[in-house]
This record gives sequence, structure tokens and C-alpha cells, in this order.
Amino acid sequence: MAEAETKSIDNASIRMIEKAAKDGVNTAFDRAEAMKPCPIGMVGSCCKNCGMGPCRVPLPKGGTETPEEKKKRRGICGATAETIAARNFIRMIAGGAAAHSDHARGVAELFLAAARGKAPGYEIKDEQKLLQLALDWGVEIGDRNNQEIAIDVGETALAEFGKQEGELLFLKRAPLKRQELWRNLGVAPRGIDREVVEIMHRTHMGVDQDYRSLLKQGVRAALADGWGGSMIATELQDILFGTPVPILGKVNLGVLSRDEVNIIIHGHDPLLSEMIVVAAQDPQMIELAKSKGAKGINLAGMCCTANEILMRHGIPLAGNFLQQELALVTGAIEAMVVDIQCIMQSLPDIAQCYHTKIITTSPKARIPDAIHIEFDEHNAMESAKAIVKTAIENFPNRGKNIDIPEEQSDLVAGFSHETINYLLGGIYRASYRPLNDNIINGRIRGVAGVVGCNNPRVKHDDVHIAMVKELIKNDVLVLQTGCSAMACAKLGLLTPEAAAKYAGEGLASVCEAVGIPPVLHMGACVDNSRILMAATAMVKDGGLGDDLSDLPVAGAAPEWMSEKAIAIGQYFVGSGVFTVFGVTWPTLGSEEVTKLLFEDFETMYGGMWAFEPDPLKAAHLMIDHIDQKRKALGIDKARERVLYNMEMRREL
Amino acid sequence: MKYQVEKKSAPGREEVEVLGATFEEGKPEGEDAGKWRQKLGTRQEKLKYLQTGEGYWYEKE
Repeated sequence: MAEAETKSIDNASIRMIEKAAKDGVNTAFDRAEAMKPCPIGMVGSCCKNCGMGPCRVPLPKGGTETPEEKKKRRGICGATAETIAARNFIRMIAGGAAAHSDHARGVAELFLAAARGKAPGYEIKDEQKLLQLALDWGVEIGDRNNQEIAIDVGETALAEFGKQEGELLFLKRAPLKRQELWRNLGVAPRGIDREVVEIMHRTHMGVDQDYRSLLKQGVRAALADGWGGSMIATELQDILFGTPVPILGKVNLGVLSRDEVNIIIHGHDPLLSEMIVVAAQDPQMIELAKSKGAKGINLAGMCCTANEILMRHGIPLAGNFLQQELALVTGAIEAMVVDIQCIMQSLPDIAQCYHTKIITTSPKARIPDAIHIEFDEHNAMESAKAIVKTAIENFPNRGKNIDIPEEQSDLVAGFSHETINYLLGGIYRASYRPLNDNIINGRIRGVAGVVGCNNPRVKHDDVHIAMVKELIKNDVLVLQTGCSAMACAKLGLLTPEAAAKYAGEGLASVCEAVGIPPVLHMGACVDNSRILMAATAMVKDGGLGDDLSDLPVAGAAPEWMSEKAIAIGQYFVGSGVFTVFGVTWPTLGSEEVTKLLFEDFETMYGGMWAFEPDPLKAAHLMIDHIDQKRKALGIDKARERVLYNMEMRREL
Repeated sequence: MKYQVEKKSAPGREEVEVLGATFEEGKPEGEDAGKWRQKLGTRQEKLKYLQTGEGYWYEKE
């Protein structure tokens, strides 16, 4: 097997990894090979929270120690391996929750500016979602116009970040039993920023030194992400840009054009990219592109900004996280426009080998050697046009070392919770009833959320695809977001035709009847909140228990790498969902912390973590969990249907 | 959406008009394909849909 083939399952990526080697370009795949992970940091046993360290408290070789030895395994401040592992873990949650939530804050600020008429080019595109939020948050509707309602909704959204007491408003969307559990355990988040800041305080040297207490705060901050920051971002973006509906798209590097100006939009924030979509269609811009010798302008997305503009405009996906460098290696990209999160600092270095311009746009995410064209929400179209113009003017600089892979696959995206509800029941009877019925009758075994990143420590896309194929083969309907969705889309799993080819008989029959793929694309990673809503709708529809933890569902991030993934996983676990991660696990340095996460959380929250790098074994952990839940619900066996006559009824 | 009306013979009468199968085409085409939210035109329709379609959260009872 050629070396590149050990690094990715995707042929287009393999070809670009080989080209990168020929061109002398260093990629994440090379760096991962050259630099092995630190074995102490990898298991959470390194503390660098103060100047007395960094302190390393690894398990002794062989993994066994006497109680006396264990007592001595401490940092200089006296912190035990448990405290250190727990601190590190919840700082990851804080990082992830902060990323999603600060993204949400940006959306809320723009939303409010648009409502006040101070952000030209932005408008309320989905009145229904606006009304929905108004009902959720007790904002008066009456005869008020959308602008008036939106101002109140925007102010309420922004207040959620700095709230000091009470609890986040979206918690009321959760099943009642779950809300009660959060309150009883003291993990109902008060304000989004407060929970993140409190983690930073508690993990400072000499503050919270009980791993159970630290992890409890981790759950609280994670819930502030899932049922707070992430959900706010999703909902306000839907109001501004439209709630996603099914749309046909294409994915992989083959979407790049040989004879047009290629612009890739990369990152996570749709605020600017929405405007770039409009600017790229401007006749003046197209004329300018033609004057430079191009046939037009070809926009494509990368990572989660890609998911956002795919769902709402059908803009093709060039690829997922580990393809960002490889896209540049094609030699055919005039500009890569980046906003926030998951952007590699190596991009400007690689761009220098070709002609590509890397354009940063967020004041929060600058990269040396990139061009910075700051996105100004009050003058968004001007920013967007300046970016598109920069790309067009770069077209004549395109060199001859160009190789665009042919691979591209179809996918259907845009399965928001609202759209699933509509597709299952129609406009007059929108409902999750058909899904619940088919879970109860066993055609669908359960539902799995498979999400998350790519990680060069494992074969690119391989783990996602192996897991998802195994799940749908076993009649588990899969909901996806982020880079995981793109991985599976490349294999064609996100098309209705995939049901007949890959899904078990029961799931395939339901997919065929409803006309949906067996793997549903629900958006960007911030849109995992849509999965929370879908799961809540399943509970509320009835027949599958009265809490999220009763549902035959499971979650996974088999190629995770970011702190956001840990925050997402933790808010699913805290919401009662069994969640399996692959690649590596950051608390293995402490048996106690790991046991709490992997076992005791099940008793406390009805959901727990698991770690299994083998995708098939991980899929079967999820399936076993789903089967256990089916058994607990009494739907694990087909029951004889008895038609009761009057006498039998009287007896009842 | 237009209601489909069929004419059928009925006992004791010549022909009666019967409401036929009224449904949307299974495969909508064109730019608006799949854009189901546009079917809800007025604010009242949208609020009504929230109470029924999204009744898990918004029904009044």
C-alpha cells in the first residue's frame, strides 16, 4: 500500500497528499507522523496551571502502584493526579463552550444590529423561527412588527451570556424530568459566560481540588454550551439566514473548477460567508472575473462554514478539516477566506508554494503572513466584495502546477429538526410519531448522533465511515453534523439511494417510505443543538420514556480532536446520552476520574462516556446500549397483538 | 393547492361530485423544491403551525 493510502480513505485526499510530497509541502499528515503525542499530556497527567510546574504525575510503568506511591504522585502544590486530570478535562470543556458561545455572541450582536436597522444587507428571513423564539422567551408578539419583536429577542439572547442567576431560558425546551434532574444535581447553568469563567477560577492553582466537584462544574458549563450558546447560535442564524430545508449538494475536491476563480470559505461563522455568496453572484464581479480570463466565480466551502452555506444555498463542500491544506495543494485556489475555529496556521506557508491568498476576516482569528480584510457587520457587503475582488485579481497568478481531483459525490443536506418533523408528518400533521412508531415496532432500532472532527492520528474519514456503515446496517438511523457528515457524504451515505445499498432492511424500508437518506445531515458542529431538539421531540411525542436518557439513542465522535468536541460530548452525556469517543481519551491518567465519567455518570445523569478507538467495536457499544434501552422500554420483542372483545375489556 | 373533484355515479342519482385525492406531487421540481416553510404565508398560519406541528413546545393545552 502506498504511504498516502495509509493516511486517508478518500482518493482525492490521497492524490493530494502524494502531490504535496512531490511539491515539498508539509501537511498535518506529515507533522503527525514526525511528532508523536506526549504520553503524559495525552492522558491528562500534566499540569501547567502555575509557575511551580509544569508538573507531571504519570502512572508508573505497568500501571500499578501502592497506596503510598499513589499518595506521593502529586504536583508541587499537592494536587493529585485526579485533580489534575479533572482540571485539564474541564478546561477543555471551557474552551469548547467558549468557542461555540462566543460564536453565538457574535451572531446575537449582528442579529440585534440587523433588527435595529444598523446592519445593511441582513434581514429576518425566517419569521416563523422568530415567532418561535418569542414564544420560548416570553417576548410579546401581538400586532408588533418583526423588527420590534426581533429587537426584544436579540436583547434577550445577549442577556443570556452575562446572566448571573436563575437558569438559561432554553433549558425549558428539555423534557421536564431532565430539567428537574439538572436542578436537583445543581448543574442547571445560570449564565453562559459565568459557567465558563467559573471553570477557569476553579481550575486555578489552589481552588477546587475535588475531582467530583470539578467535573460537576464541567457538566454545568457544557450544558451552557448545548442548551445555551450553541442553541442560540443555531436559532438566530436560522432567523437571519433561513431554517435549513433539504437541498442537493456536492462534496469533495472535485467541486473546484479548472477555469473559474476558486474561492474557498473556511471556518464556522456564516455571518460573512452569507454576504460572500451574494457578492460572488454580483454581475460586476462576474464581469471582472471574465476580464481576468476566468469563466466565472466558483465558491466552495470547507469545514463548518461550508455546512452553513451548503444547507442554505447549495454551495458545494470542498472538504472537511484535514482537507484544508490539501485544497491549497491543488494549485487552483485563488483565495481561502477564513473566519473562526479549526483553521490551521500552516495555511499561509502552504499558500506561498502556490499563488493562493489566505484572507483572515475576524479580529479574533489573525494569522501571520495572511492578508487581513476585517469583516465589518455594518458594512458587510463592502467587506465581502473586497474579498471576492482580491480573489479575482489573483486569478492571472495561477501557476501551471495544477491538479484537481475528479472525486465529488452527491449529498442531501438541510435536515433541521423542523424539517424532519415536517417530512415525517406533512404540513398538517407534522410529528415525530412515525419515527417513534418505527422505533417501537423495531424497523428502526434506534438513533445515533455521529459527529465531530478529523484527526491525523487515525486514517482520515475511515473511522467515521466504518462506524456509520455499521450503525445503519444494524437499522440505526444516523444524525450527523460537522466534518463527520462530510466524511460520510463523500461515500454517498447522505443520499436516499444509500438506504437500499447500506442500511438494514427495516431502516431501508422507512427511509424509502419517507424519502430520506439513512444518514441525515443536520448542519455545522454548532448545530448539534438540533440533535438535542430532535431527541426532545422524540421524548415529547411519547412511547419512548419520559426523559432523554430513556431513549434508544447514542452519540459518538470517532475522529475527535477539538475542545469543542469534548464540550459537545459532555453536554450530550449531561443530557442523558451514552457517548463514545475514539482516537484518544484525555483522563486515562486517573482511574478515578475516568471511572466517574465512564460509569458513575450513568447513575447520576443517565448518560455516560466511553472510549473505543475501533469503529466497529464502538458502533457495537452503541448498538448494545440502544438494545438495553429498548429492553428497559419493553420494546425489545415483538408482541402478540390481541383484539379485545367487550368481555375482555370489562375484565380490564 | 386546488382540490381535486371527481364525478361518480351514485345509487338513485345520476352523478355526484366527490372530493378526490388531493396531494402534492411527490417530486417537486425547480428552485423552490423542498422549501416547505414558504407554504406558511401569514403570521397567523405560522403561529397555528407552531401550535400544531411544533405542539411539543407550543400547544396551548
